[in-house]
Amino acid sequence: MMEGFSSLFAPAEPPPPLPPGPGAPPGVPTGGGGFGSNKPQVTGNPNSTVPGPPLPPPPPLSMGPAGDDAARRSPSGPFYLLRDLPGLSDLTGSVNLIVHYNLEHSFGKFCGKKVKEKLSNFLPDLPGMIDTPGSQDNSSLRSLIEKPPICGNSFTPLTGALLTGFRLHAGPLPEQCRLMHIQPPKKKHRKHKRNPEPAPPETPSDSDHRKKKKKQREDDPERRRKKKDKKKKKSRHSPEHPGAASSQSGLR
Amino acid sequence: MAEKFDSLEEHLEKFVENIRQLGIIVSDFQPSSQAGLNQKLNFMITGLQDVDKCRQQLHDITVPLEVFDYIDQGRNPQLYTRECLERALAKNEQVKGKIDTMKKFKILLIQELSKVFPEDMAKYRAIRGEDHPPS
Repeated sequence: MMEGFSSLFAPAEPPPPLPPGPGAPPGVPTGGGGFGSNKPQVTGNPNSTVPGPPLPPPPPLSMGPAGDDAARRSPSGPFYLLRDLPGLSDLTGSVNLIVHYNLEHSFGKFCGKKVKEKLSNFLPDLPGMIDTPGSQDNSSLRSLIEKPPICGNSFTPLTGALLTGFRLHAGPLPEQCRLMHIQPPKKKHRKHKRNPEPAPPETPSDSDHRKKKKKQREDDPERRRKKKDKKKKKSRHSPEHPGAASSQSGLR
Repeated sequence: MAEKFDSLEEHLEKFVENIRQLGIIVSDFQPSSQAGLNQKLNFMITGLQDVDKCRQQLHDITVPLEVFDYIDQGRNPQLYTRECLERALAKNEQVKGKIDTMKKFKILLIQELSKVFPEDMAKYRAIRGEDHPPS
């Protein structure tokens, strides 16, 4: 947007040169019909094209105080209603005012990217449901300005006697009064999957194998311990075990 | 400029937090929490006093009333800033277009008048002090 704007405010192409002032082009009468003093005056309304008797020239228009008007008027000679051109220093719409007031950064910030619509996006830490219109629960700022509350000018702390008015009954508030607990729903951020490509179709044997592997990984240390224990027990009770054999032989 | 708002922002944050805690106490009130409630109520009053004190620093700050409409409707007030900037840009472009058109018109008018009233236009140029065509 700003690029288009900059291009719009790029220096304009130089205007075409004017034809030379004095010297009339062939065939153009130089003496009559002009608005100079040495010519028959077109008086009255200069815009009027209706022919009529010559009228006295109109007085110069007074646009402001007389002194100011006189100061602004230049020695106009045959011309009236001729005023000074506006100075070059005057700030007009011909310049990019956003650049002039150094607002490019703000422009880029607010107009360059999408601004979130809801108030809770602007004030994310504010508790309560703040996205609902203020007119619903009579909490609008406009009503506060239009009908300011009738109260004193100072804030005085509550003394013991005044605080007795804030003795509350024990127990939870009814559901409809728990406004502080309602929060606007926040969007859950989806976790990016590492492999966005769809997985190739698996053969049943493949998937079984993987499942098994996963299971093994999950309870690896426990399984190992159990296996070890089993092995120990087996080896104790097995006939090859020297201790077990001796004990058995001893019994006999 | 931003430092002016820092203390106000800090006081407002404390105030909001105090109100939140007050809401939690009240939502399931126990008789033992009456002392805490009284304390929070007085914190609220001192919080309001602190916010009120910030007024002196911010007396020269003006807020457009339209922003309140955005907030009342539950809309992000930054949208107002964006709309203002966009409107200013559109108006700026529009005015520039008008100025450029008027400039072109002036050039053409002087061209044509010079053809018909060369002497007068020479005088005009002399008054204006323009030996070269107006830009």
